[in-house]
Amino acid sequence: MLRFLTRRVIGAAVILVIISGVTFFLFFVIPADPARLACGKVCPPETLAQARHNLGLDQPVVVQFVSWLGGIFFGRNFEGLGTCPAPCLGYSFVNRAPVFETIIDRLPVTIALTIGASVIFLTFGVATGILAALRQGKPLDKIASISSLVGASMQIYFVGTLAMYFFVYQAHIFPQPKYIPITEDPLGWFGGLLLPWIVLAIIFTANYTRMTRSTMVENLAEDYVRTARAKGMSGRSVVLRFALRGTLTPIVTIFGVDLGQLIGGAIITETTFGLQGIGRLSVRAVDNSDLPTLMATVLVAAGAIVVMNIVVDALYAVIDPRVRLS
Amino acid sequence: MNHRKRSALAVAAAASLALVGACAPGNAGAPSSAPASAGASSAPAAEAYKPPTITLGTAEDSKGPAIPPEGVVKGGTVTMIDRDDFAHFDPAQIYVNTDANFGLLISRGLTGYKRIAKGDYKLVGDLATDAGTPSDGGKTWTFTLKDGVKWQDGSPITSADVKWSVERMFAPFVTFGPNYIQTWLTSEDYKKAYPGPYGGKELDNIETPDDKTVVFKFNSPHADANYAFAMAGYNIVPKAKDTKEKYDKEPVSSGPYIIKSHVVDKSLELARNPNWDAATDPIRGAYPDVWKMEFGQEATQVTDRFVADSGPDQTAFTFYSNTPAERLQQVLGDASLADRRMISPSPYGNYYYFNLDRVKDQKIRQAINYAWPAKQIQQALGGPQAVALPTTILNENTTVGYKPYDLFGKTAKPEGDIEKAKQLLAESSNPHPTIVYAYNNLPTQEPVTLVIKNALEKAGIKVVAKSLDRKTYYDSISQTKNEFDLYWGGWGADWPSGSTVMPIIFGPVSDGGQNMSHLNDPTVKAEMKKISENPDINAANEAWMNLDKQIQETITPLVVAENRIGTFLHGSKVGGAEIDPQQWIVSPNTIFVKQ
Repeated sequence: MLRFLTRRVIGAAVILVIISGVTFFLFFVIPADPARLACGKVCPPETLAQARHNLGLDQPVVVQFVSWLGGIFFGRNFEGLGTCPAPCLGYSFVNRAPVFETIIDRLPVTIALTIGASVIFLTFGVATGILAALRQGKPLDKIASISSLVGASMQIYFVGTLAMYFFVYQAHIFPQPKYIPITEDPLGWFGGLLLPWIVLAIIFTANYTRMTRSTMVENLAEDYVRTARAKGMSGRSVVLRFALRGTLTPIVTIFGVDLGQLIGGAIITETTFGLQGIGRLSVRAVDNSDLPTLMATVLVAAGAIVVMNIVVDALYAVIDPRVRLS
Repeated sequence: MNHRKRSALAVAAAASLALVGACAPGNAGAPSSAPASAGASSAPAAEAYKPPTITLGTAEDSKGPAIPPEGVVKGGTVTMIDRDDFAHFDPAQIYVNTDANFGLLISRGLTGYKRIAKGDYKLVGDLATDAGTPSDGGKTWTFTLKDGVKWQDGSPITSADVKWSVERMFAPFVTFGPNYIQTWLTSEDYKKAYPGPYGGKELDNIETPDDKTVVFKFNSPHADANYAFAMAGYNIVPKAKDTKEKYDKEPVSSGPYIIKSHVVDKSLELARNPNWDAATDPIRGAYPDVWKMEFGQEATQVTDRFVADSGPDQTAFTFYSNTPAERLQQVLGDASLADRRMISPSPYGNYYYFNLDRVKDQKIRQAINYAWPAKQIQQALGGPQAVALPTTILNENTTVGYKPYDLFGKTAKPEGDIEKAKQLLAESSNPHPTIVYAYNNLPTQEPVTLVIKNALEKAGIKVVAKSLDRKTYYDSISQTKNEFDLYWGGWGADWPSGSTVMPIIFGPVSDGGQNMSHLNDPTVKAEMKKISENPDINAANEAWMNLDKQIQETITPLVVAENRIGTFLHGSKVGGAEIDPQQWIVSPNTIFVKQ
């Protein structure tokens, strides 16, 4: 297991370096000039050149990339602005702050959003899927199928906007969504994120319901389940100990991918609810041609996907003994 | 615009913000030259918009405290919600209106604008005892600092600080602020003329005979230098606490508040500066005890929150979140919002520039002006409540001595005079010209382009529309060798005079420059120089207005574009909220929290 994990971590690091390199070089293909944004309303060529120099954009792209990469391990010194200790992801001239600080500030918002919503959609999605599978063809199954179809067709910007309008602005059931650190005010943290969690969960629950239902139906028809029943095991034990375990493998797979993507930035959700997480940060970075911040958000998104893949692979071994044996 | 975004073109940024729409009842916002005109006829009758009055104040006017708005209450916490954080706190790096407006809370300059009443402003001494004394025909300006003006640590603000603040604007790290004073003190290439004070070298033509007096000696007369000093970019930085680049993050306050906390792009909180004395400040009311600022809210969310007006949002307002087009009718149609609505036309000049290197025949340029579908563009952008139709190059909100004129019959025929255009084309060198029209690839610009194309083609002009990416739009059109005949561009006055518009938009022709029509006429140049050096500011203002008309008459380098009208809301427990007509942003000076 240790060897497996070591191999996967090294592979992940290589993938992240490749992604960073590609992002870095692609940025310079775009014709937009970030120095223009650091140059005033009257921007003669000399001032523009000075702005370019101040941003380090007058260096060759390769040199810039190597400096950036080196900063992650050894830190960097930004002339006049001070040092940026490792892991230094660069200095944002738009935010006037080391990027790592900004990422650390935004990550809790995205993680809180992701975890809260995940708890809801995983619990409801799997539970509804199991119930639908057990009541196959019955009204409950039909309701679950139709609901998941409707849920899957919804978009966050639509459901979120409606939810904000009715539940926040009209009925005042929910407070204005906002992130308050849990350490400051646990109730405020919960209340501020409840609506985004619910809306995000509405969209994601559908997938889990459908996936759980279909896999559970297949598993319930498996020989080992039939054998367990034939041996007199109670229906509850058969479902929870045998059928559900077999159902979990694909659920864990899609959960890993979803979690990775959400940590990488729930751009639309964060924008709809005005939450300042990694998603919004990445959009602002693109808008402002803020390369250091863009690089960091790409790295976080890619890192989240890669790490979640490793976690999923490790979880397979826990869930499925056949993986451990192989 | 936007964008937010921190575009190098401040006007473009503001204009892109405006692109989401805005409105005003009736012809509110229409230029005074076009009473109930230019498409405003279909709008409900309402009080005509009155541009602000801006006059020169006296030493008496320069004394504090500020004139309070009606019903003012001191104390409480006010919340400001907007999309973007402020880009700069270092005055030297401030040019954009959002940063300048925030700067009023934490920094002060030699001069500034005092609100006498709604729409009535005076240029007064801020840190200075009056708005400055010119001598030597406007080449020398002397300012005397008030007694009792202090930094947040209680140390006195001195003339050495003023001198230092201007000198540091020459330093290489300063790339964003204004450059008027620097060029007047040295030369156009001011960064080469003086490297800044950090190496120990001083500028000899800023004199500080004592701690209270500072004398600026310019190379040529500048009758409106005291207006230039009112720009936030010339606010003062303490010599003893200057941290160069780092100052942009850690400013020292001379204003009524200090930054208590700031999470970039997320939140900012201000607390009172105990060393600010209201008796020295004629400009800032500073009524709330605490300011909380919340960033990351899109204009739609901001509008929805103000419409709902629930809980803490009742004590909230926005600096610049203009009501977006999709909420405009709701906001205007809701009578309960009437006393929480603020409406003002943009103070920016918006133009469709002709590339004079390509469209060489003035008759063709005049024909396009006549055929221009102003009314249809207005409709495409939200109607007369969202867009006004000015007819002059200079903007009424930012031109002292504004004098309207209408050369191309826009008041009578806002939909365009196709027959007159055809007649002019017949007299031109090419009765069926082809015009390459470049436009910014924004959702609002597609329908506008279609309207322009349809109208010009009716007159016999073939229009080739070229869509340009929004990120490179300004770079593309500001190239002197561009391949377009017509394109939109904007510019905002830096103080209420043609002197910060005409010499810029018709100034040096260079790549990346602002002379987008490439007008290079010796007569115009000579006239601009003459007006700029006129020691009589009133005569100069009149002359700028005359030159505006003369340029359109004799050269016609542009079509005057539509002007957006902003509609802003605020919470029900916020008082004194007013749009600063020069900055097109809600001023913090009069804001208070109702009890």
